[in-house]
Amino acid sequence: MASQPTNAAITRRGFIGLTGGVAGAALLAACGSGGSGSNSNSLKFWNMPWGNTAFNPLDKKITLAYKPTGGMAKATYQEIQWANFTQTFSSAVASNTGPAVSSGGGTQAFQFESQGKIAYADNLLDSWKKNGIYDDFLPGLLDAMKVKKGYAAVPYNLDMRVLWYNKTLMQEAGAEVPTDWQSYMNACAALKKKGIYGYGTGAGAGAFTGGHILVSWMINNGGGLFDADQKPNCVTKENIEAINFVLELVKKKYVDPASPTYTSANVQSQWKAKKFGMGFDTGGLADNVGGAVGPDLLVGTPLTGPSGKKGMLYFPNNIMMYKNTPSQKDSEAFLTYYFKNMTPLWTKSTGIGLPPLKSITQTKEFQASANNVKIINEWQPIAHTWAAPGGEALFLNVTQVDGTPAMDTFTQSILGGHTDAKSALTTLQNTIKSKMTS
Amino acid sequence: MSTNSVASRLQKARKGVGVAGPGPAARKPASRRKWRLSARAWTLIAFAVPSIVLLLLINLYPVIYAGIQSVRNGTLISAGSFVGFSNYRHILSDPTFWHSALFTVIFTVTGVFGSWLVGLGLAVLLRTRIPLAGLFKVLLLLPWIVPVVVSATSWNWLVATPQSPLPKLTHALGMGDVLFLANPTWAKITVCVFKVWISFPFMMMMMSSALASVDNTVYEAAKVDGASSWQAFSQITMPLISRSTYISWILMTIFCVNDFPTIFLLTGGGPVNSTTSLVVLAYRTVFQDFQTGPGVAIAFVMTLVLVVISVVLYRQIRKANVE
Amino acid sequence: MSIAANLRQPATVSDTAKPTGTTSGNAGKWWRFALVLVITAVALVPIGAVVVLSLRPALGSTSTAAVTLQNFRDVFSQTGVKTWLGNSLAITLITVLIAVTVAAPAGYVLSRARNRLVSGYSLILFIVQSLPIVTAVIPLFILFSKIGLVDNLAGVTIIYVGSEISVAIWMMAAYYNSIPIALEEAAWMDGSSVFGGFLRVVLRNSLPGVLSTAIFSFLLAWNDYLIAVVFLRSDPNYTLPVGLETFFQQNATNWGLVMAVAVIMMLPPIIIFSVLNRYFSVGGIGGSLAGK
Repeated sequence: MASQPTNAAITRRGFIGLTGGVAGAALLAACGSGGSGSNSNSLKFWNMPWGNTAFNPLDKKITLAYKPTGGMAKATYQEIQWANFTQTFSSAVASNTGPAVSSGGGTQAFQFESQGKIAYADNLLDSWKKNGIYDDFLPGLLDAMKVKKGYAAVPYNLDMRVLWYNKTLMQEAGAEVPTDWQSYMNACAALKKKGIYGYGTGAGAGAFTGGHILVSWMINNGGGLFDADQKPNCVTKENIEAINFVLELVKKKYVDPASPTYTSANVQSQWKAKKFGMGFDTGGLADNVGGAVGPDLLVGTPLTGPSGKKGMLYFPNNIMMYKNTPSQKDSEAFLTYYFKNMTPLWTKSTGIGLPPLKSITQTKEFQASANNVKIINEWQPIAHTWAAPGGEALFLNVTQVDGTPAMDTFTQSILGGHTDAKSALTTLQNTIKSKMTS
Repeated sequence: MSTNSVASRLQKARKGVGVAGPGPAARKPASRRKWRLSARAWTLIAFAVPSIVLLLLINLYPVIYAGIQSVRNGTLISAGSFVGFSNYRHILSDPTFWHSALFTVIFTVTGVFGSWLVGLGLAVLLRTRIPLAGLFKVLLLLPWIVPVVVSATSWNWLVATPQSPLPKLTHALGMGDVLFLANPTWAKITVCVFKVWISFPFMMMMMSSALASVDNTVYEAAKVDGASSWQAFSQITMPLISRSTYISWILMTIFCVNDFPTIFLLTGGGPVNSTTSLVVLAYRTVFQDFQTGPGVAIAFVMTLVLVVISVVLYRQIRKANVE
Repeated sequence: MSIAANLRQPATVSDTAKPTGTTSGNAGKWWRFALVLVITAVALVPIGAVVVLSLRPALGSTSTAAVTLQNFRDVFSQTGVKTWLGNSLAITLITVLIAVTVAAPAGYVLSRARNRLVSGYSLILFIVQSLPIVTAVIPLFILFSKIGLVDNLAGVTIIYVGSEISVAIWMMAAYYNSIPIALEEAAWMDGSSVFGGFLRVVLRNSLPGVLSTAIFSFLLAWNDYLIAVVFLRSDPNYTLPVGLETFFQQNATNWGLVMAVAVIMMLPPIIIFSVLNRYFSVGGIGGSLAGK
C-alpha cells in the first residue's frame, strides 16, 4: 500500500483548486451528518500546528479560556494537521461540518471566498477600528487580505523570507555583510575560498523555499510573476536580470550543487555543518538550526537590486470566518477575544511565525531577539506577496505557483544551472497560463 | 486413496463448480445443467460472495469512477462536465509524460531484475547450512518490513548532502563528490537501488520457497553424470524454478509500476522530473496541480497498459501450465 | 566453493541431513557465512541509522550524552503515541481477522473449483492487484463521506481489507493446493457437507496458510500511510503513521522524536516475524496465480 510524504511544507500554503466547488458542495452536503456548527451553542475554532509542540496546548488554553458574555457561543478547539489539510477543510466545509473560525493555508480564505463560503471581516475590522486592534496591525498586512467584496480574512502570523549569514564564517572568510547584489557576489566569492557556499538553499521534496527565493530575487529587482490584472507575466526585463544573476551564482559554484534536491532538513544540516555561510530562509532558521551554530546566525539587511529597489516574498498567514457559524456575532466576538489575548503565543517561544500586531513586536520578550526585531523593522516593510509586482492582495491563481510541480521544475533547473533565464521563465509562464485556463 | 482417483477427481473438478466434489449430485449428468446448481455449488458461491462485494466496492468502483473522471474536467470533489478525450490528448502530447513513462520502465526493469538477482543469490546462500541462518533470514526481511516513511527518511540521511555518510565514503575512496540525489543520472540510480533494497526480501522469500520445492535427488543424479556446479544450477535448478521466477517477475513488475512512496519520499520526482514515474506524475497532477482530469487520465493509461500486459502474461502462465 | 555442493544440501537449514561429499564443505560454510554477514550488515545500515538517531539527544536538548532514552520518554509523556499505538493495533488486528475470514473460503473456491466463472474471478483478482491505490483514494473518500465512514476507524479497516484481499485469497488458495483433495473426499464419503468438510478438514490443516495470510495482512495494514492520512481526521482516531505527522511542525522537525516513533512502529512487525517467521511464505502466491 502506498504511503505518501507529508513534510508539512508540502501543502502548507497551497490550497486545492475547488473551482467547481458548487457541484462538490451539493454532493457532500447530501451527506452532512448534522454536526454543523449551526445547531449547537458552540463555536468551532480549527487551528494549525504553527509552532513547536508547545504551540497548540497553549493555543487551546487561550481558546478555552474564552468566557463569552450575553449568551454568546463558547469556543471549541481542534488542531488540524498539515498533512492533507486541504482535503480536511474542503470536504468539511462543503458538507457543512467545518469550523466557524479557522486558520489554514495562506490562500485558503481566497479559495473559499470564491465559493461563497467565507464571511467577510469588514464589520469585524470596523469594530476593531474602535478598540485599537485595527491600527495595531503592521503596515500593509490588511491590504493583502482585501478582495473585491471585502476582507476575506485577518492577518494572523507572518512567514518571512530573509537573508541569513553565519557571522563566524563571514569573519573567518573576511567577507563583508552584503548590502546589494554586487557586494553579495563578493561575499560569496570570499566564502568560496574557504569552501563555504554563499547561497544556501534547497528545492527538494517538500522544500519550496528554493522557489520562493527565486521569486524573491525577481521581486527584489522590481519584478515578480503577476501583473496588475492578476495574469502571469514572467518574462520581463527585471525577472530575466534577476534569474541571470542567480545563474551566475550557480556557475561560480556559490550554490551547493546538491541543493536542487535538498529537503528543509538537509538545508538545516548544511547550516549546522558550517557549509552554508549565507542564504535565504524563513525567519525561524536560527532556532531550527539550533545547537552551536544557531546563535551564530544573524539576519542581514535587505539587498538593493540593480534597479535600485528592495523587496522580498512573504506569506501573510491568516484567520478566516465562515458563513457556517452559530452566528456571525459569535464568530466576531470570539476573534476579538482571541486577538486581544493571543500575545503569549509569541512571548512564550512557541515557534510560531512573526506576529501581525505592533504591540506584540514591542513586548520585551519579542524585543529580546535581535533577529526578529531586524526582520520586523527592515524586512517586513519591503516584503510583498505572490501578487507582486501587480498588487498586494492575494487571489486564487497563486495556487498555480506556490509549491506546484511547475515551480519545482523551474527552481531545480535554475539551481542545477541547466538552462537560461529567458527560456526557463517562458516555460514557467506558459505552464502557469495553461493551468489557469484549463 | 490412490493418486489416480485424486487426479481424476481434479480432472472432473476442473470442469465446473457443480462437480467440484464427488457427491451424489455431481454424479448425475442433469446437475451439470447451467441453471440447476447443486448445494455444493451454492456453498462455493457463498464462499466467494463476500470477497466479490469487497472487490467491487473498494477496487472496481474507484476504477470506474476514475475512468469517468478522466473524460471530464472536474476537481477533487466536483464532477465537472464532459470534455471528451481532451485530457488524454493533453497528457499524450506532453513530453513530461513520455519522460515519466521511460523512467517507469527503467525503474521497473532494474527493480525487478535487481531484486530478483539479490533475492535469488541470498536464497541460494541461505539454503545451505551456515551458522545463524535463521537469524539472517529474519534480519534480511527488515528492509521489506520497515515502513517506507521510515526507510526513506533514513536513506535521505545517508546520501543527501556532501556531509552524509555515503558521499563522504565515495569522497574518501577518491570517486569525487557524488551527488546521489541532485545529479539527474545519480538520482535515477539511487532511487532504483533504494527500490532493490526494499524489494529483495520479497524475492528472497519467493525464491526460497521455490528452491525448497526442488527435489534434492535430482542433484545427486546430476553429480553422478559429472555436471559442474554451475551446470547443475543453470540447467537443473533454473528450469525447475522457472515458473516461480516468472511469476515473481510479474508480481514485482506490478509492484514497481504502482510504486509511489519509494520515489516520492526520496526525491519527490526531481531533480527536474528526472525521477518522476507515471504514478508520481499522476499524483502531482492531481494533488499539486489540482488537475484531476489529466491526472486520472495518466493513471488510467498506465493502468490500462499494465492490465493488458498482466492479462497477456497471466494467460501465458496458465497456458504453460496446462501443457 | 561450489554452488552445486550447496544445492545438494537439504532445503531447510534446520534439516539434520549431512552435507554430502565435499571436502571443502566446512571452509565453504564459513565463507558463505561471512558473505551473508556482510550483505546483511550493509542491508541493515539504514535501519541501524534509525535506531541510532532515536537514541540521540533531542533537538535543542542540553544533554551531551551519546545515548539517551529521553526521546522515548518524551513521546510517551508528551504525545498521544499510546492512543495511536492502540488504534493501529486495533485497526490492524481487525483487518487481519476480517481479511482471513473472507479470504479463507474464497481461496477454497479458487483452489478447488475450475470453470469459466472461477477463471474470470481469478482474472479479476489479478487485475485488481495491479491497480494503483493512489487513484482509488478520491472516489472512496467521496463514497465514504456519504455514509459517515470518514474519520472512522471502521472505514479505514474496510479499505485495508479490500486492498489486500486479492493477495490474501491467493495465499490461502496456494496453501489449500498443498492439501490433497482426498482428505475432503473422505469427509464427504462420511456424509459431511462441503462447508463441513472445508471447516473440519481443510481449514483445520491450514494453520500455516492462515498465519501466512494473517502476517501479510498485518504488514500491509500496519505500514499503510496514504489511506490513514486521507481518511483519519482527529487526534483520538490517528494511527501511528498519521500521528507521526504531528511531529512535522511548521518549521522545525524534532527528528529524535520522529525516529523514536519510527522505532516503535518497527517493533510489532519485527516481533511478529521473529516469532512466526517459520510459518510465513509468499512463495505459494505464484502457484495459485498460475492455476495448479
